[in-house]
Amino acid sequence: GSRLLKGYRGGHVVIRFARGGCTNRPFYRIVAAHSRRARDGKYLEQLGCLDPLPNSRGEKVAGLNLERLRHWLGCGAQLSPPAEKLLGLAGFLPLHPMTVTGAERLRRRRAQEAVAQPADG
Amino acid sequence: PCWGPRLVPTRGRKTRYDPPAKSKASRLKVPPPVDPEELVVITERYRQHRLVLGALRAEFRAEVLQKKREALLTQEDSARLLQEHQRLMAWNEEENARQRARREERLRKEEEEQRRQKLKAAETQARKREAFLKEREKEVLRLQEEAKTFITLENLDARIEECLDNPRNYNFAIDKEGRIVKRTMLS
Repeated sequence: GSRLLKGYRGGHVVIRFARGGCTNRPFYRIVAAHSRRARDGKYLEQLGCLDPLPNSRGEKVAGLNLERLRHWLGCGAQLSPPAEKLLGLAGFLPLHPMTVTGAERLRRRRAQEAVAQPADG
Repeated sequence: PCWGPRLVPTRGRKTRYDPPAKSKASRLKVPPPVDPEELVVITERYRQHRLVLGALRAEFRAEVLQKKREALLTQEDSARLLQEHQRLMAWNEEENARQRARREERLRKEEEEQRRQKLKAAETQARKREAFLKEREKEVLRLQEEAKTFITLENLDARIEECLDNPRNYNFAIDKEGRIVKRTMLS
């Protein structure tokens, strides 16, 4: 049958990353889609993009359409965890707990390694 | 299922019904270690985060609704729609008033009817009661009258004498025209 008009039972609108790009070169589009759609399939609206690999200046570039984001969140869209983390880092939403926890763990590990290094060397 | 060291999830090349490889026979799968204090801290942070997120969502929801309402108001023919709406509301109000009047009329009539019925019922009841009482009174009077002609222990002898002194003859014949004939062979 025709794949243009697909109906689902249940499901909800999600704001998540759709992976594009090539092998070993990802590129994410921040997209509002139904939760039951394929990851890279038909979406409702594109709300931005993210390049996860750092550019020549060492920056990871992302673009966001905050106006439409507000609209979709007002219509009751859910967020996937990576999208939440990105928006937390951008400042639109509060920081995600796991970002803070990850930073703490990294700091602790670096401190431990720093302690272990002079002990060995 | 609770993943113990025995159950291993198969993925990729093998289906779920293929047995695990021999090299993995002694594999003990344990979940990542959890630091309880860190867990407590993380739970608290998640709670706060979700609180803020909920508040933000409510904010955005209100915004969207406001925009929708504004768009509805500032339509091209909003004045005409408003007028139409008001006209229809007025007509509805009129209809309601009319129906209310009719309903009240009907209720009033029914109430009247009920009251009349009750009165009539009470009247008939009273009349029946009175008739009954009168009947009973008549009975009582009749009995009182008859009691004067009863035979008691005192009258017994006198009455017996009386009966014996006045013999009564009940023999009579009657023909088809209704004439009574008292003359018999016995008398």
